[in-house]
Amino acid sequence: MNKPVLALATVCVLGALALTACGSGGGGGSDDGGPGPGGKVTLKLVAADYGDKESNSSKAYWKGVTSAFTAAHPDIAVDVQVVNWNDIDKQVKTMIQSGNVPDVLQTGGYADKVADDLLYKAEDVLSAATRADLIDSLADAGRVKGVQYGIPFVSSARAFFYNRAVFQQAGITRPPATWDELRQDAELIKAKVPGVTPYALPLGPEEAQGESMLWELGNGGGPTGKDGAYTLDSQANVDTFGWLRTNLVGPGLTYANPATTDRKTAFADFAAGKAAMLNGHPSLITMARDGKVDYGVAPVPGKAGPLASTLGVADWMMAFKKNGHRDQVRTFLDFVYTEENTLRFYETYNLMPVTKDALSAMTASGRHKDLEPFFALLPQATFYPLGDTSWDAVSAELKKSVGGAVAGDPAKVLGDLQKKAKAATADK
Amino acid sequence: MTLDPPAPHAARPRGHRGRLGPLPWIAPAVLLILFVVLWPVYEMVRTSFLRVSTSGFVRGSAGSDKYRKLFGETDLGHVLLSTVLWTVAVVGLTMLLSLGLAQLFDQRFPGRRFARWALIAPWAASVLMTAIGFRWMLDRTAGVLNTAMTDLGLIDGPRDWLGDPATAWPWMVAVAVFVSLPFTTYTLLAGLQTVPGEVYEAARVDGASRWQVYRRITLPLLRPAFLVGLVINLINVFNSFPVIWGMTQGGPSSDTATTTVFMYQLKSTDIGESAAMSVVNFALVVVMVLVFLKVSGWTNGERR
Repeated sequence: MNKPVLALATVCVLGALALTACGSGGGGGSDDGGPGPGGKVTLKLVAADYGDKESNSSKAYWKGVTSAFTAAHPDIAVDVQVVNWNDIDKQVKTMIQSGNVPDVLQTGGYADKVADDLLYKAEDVLSAATRADLIDSLADAGRVKGVQYGIPFVSSARAFFYNRAVFQQAGITRPPATWDELRQDAELIKAKVPGVTPYALPLGPEEAQGESMLWELGNGGGPTGKDGAYTLDSQANVDTFGWLRTNLVGPGLTYANPATTDRKTAFADFAAGKAAMLNGHPSLITMARDGKVDYGVAPVPGKAGPLASTLGVADWMMAFKKNGHRDQVRTFLDFVYTEENTLRFYETYNLMPVTKDALSAMTASGRHKDLEPFFALLPQATFYPLGDTSWDAVSAELKKSVGGAVAGDPAKVLGDLQKKAKAATADK
Repeated sequence: MTLDPPAPHAARPRGHRGRLGPLPWIAPAVLLILFVVLWPVYEMVRTSFLRVSTSGFVRGSAGSDKYRKLFGETDLGHVLLSTVLWTVAVVGLTMLLSLGLAQLFDQRFPGRRFARWALIAPWAASVLMTAIGFRWMLDRTAGVLNTAMTDLGLIDGPRDWLGDPATAWPWMVAVAVFVSLPFTTYTLLAGLQTVPGEVYEAARVDGASRWQVYRRITLPLLRPAFLVGLVINLINVFNSFPVIWGMTQGGPSSDTATTTVFMYQLKSTDIGESAAMSVVNFALVVVMVLVFLKVSGWTNGERR
């Protein structure tokens, strides 16, 4: 009785193994991407999906761009694969490991691929004119040791959001510009508008590296120093978390446990009118509007005054060397980065531009009133140290542990993180 | 067998089979074990001695660096301690409650069939689903448990139960016990039903009290079933990932992580170190089971 069952199980397991083996090799179909008959080349493009449902999936955008491109360049076909954000990192890893490397990839980060020497330099795959059109702060964020590999694709910047209705109820007339004003406003809100979290401080694993950096910038600190080395436990950073602990967390002016509260909770609370102030990015505009929250946007408060340079975030385009399609990739990317194509993408998803052309077009058009406060911030934005190939590991450590600095001893928590960052740098 | 006179039709196949012995019959099982048990273990140990980049490229040997890094982690000490406390608390409570539940379900009462079926529910539901369900029931702003407890006057306002390790641990232990109860109770119930009725009758004739009957007859005869339940629970709970990951992801930092969850957290920063943690974990389970078997005298069969 047992043996047939076991044999059957074995057959099933072996079958499953065989199937998965086929699965990881597939995807490219019969096309090997090499020059086909008549010198035709097929580029493989893998891109992230910015839509949240089938009807607004990025698939439609890329289909439009690539068919227009192939019409103009009949000798280059582009095979598009759009992958959702949850799976793209894993799928790209599988592609790289199985040798089925894309020619062009559009996703959230690039530096880990530079560490493994997989990418073309930006100058190899982008014409000088297109490179000159990229906003400088963004192009700089794409550099590793002075050489640009990452090509920005979309961007976003952080600003301070506040709920006007709650401010009115608490008798506050203008948004805070300094930390002390923020604390006073929070106290007023706590006293006069019970049931609302005065300031939403999300230091949970989802995006603690962003919120912590915004506060550190407000005190002249940040994750790295001028020379690019990690300064996670600098005095400015320790003082920042000390201030948060005694002025916001201690008196209950924010969540009870910021270290386990994620950004999406904070955004949802703000959109539901349950949080009065927070740092947000443009996607919060739509959420707040849907939640019928009368919101205002202001520069992020710093210790002595509003941040001159806020945190900017970008998603990236990169080209892989493996298939050797440098010239075709360059033709394709120059086509993608024309104003017509980039604008259509930004307007579909209400995202921020990466080229000077698109930025001035969007600023001048008057159709993006809600994004205007962010347009002004973008050119001066500060970015994560993306060009440091150890940043991915350091950022993962920050996400996990930096929230502990507002509960325990900031110097100890940040000191431990600094040690780990040093180890990650040494391990490169 | 080879001395048999050659019989033209039957000899050849028999000769083949004779030489291979039982191999054709056990080969599938051996292959299965090689494939799904030994090979992964080998890969796990190998990875723990490698330097692997975040995109999954092997960058050469790391020697014992990853183990040194792992044992240098400031979090490791309290994670190990939490793992021991977690395992003892969950398994202890589960066994204790299951003994009671098994006894209850062994009685005849109206609706027993329904009650027995109901007990299967937490077992039949995916553990991850149960954990996520509890996480939202305990949610700071929207959780029904928070609302219910506030309405009942048990607490004076919604609390962030899972955000603070001091309250997160008891809740996670409760959920882990909840999902472990069905299996354990059924194991013990099966054990109870193997105890012959005559033994109880004899005890009653001799005038034994209920407690004496339970302690001197039921418990010793339940021993084999109890041990099976205990060992399987020890391994399960020690390795338990979904309950903790679904409720707190081991956070804040690693304050609510057991070694299994800690291993998964390390994966995002260093795959080699994470593999080293897996090896340590694996060794701990093996040692734990061996020690347990030794202490319980399992291998000596039913000595008592």
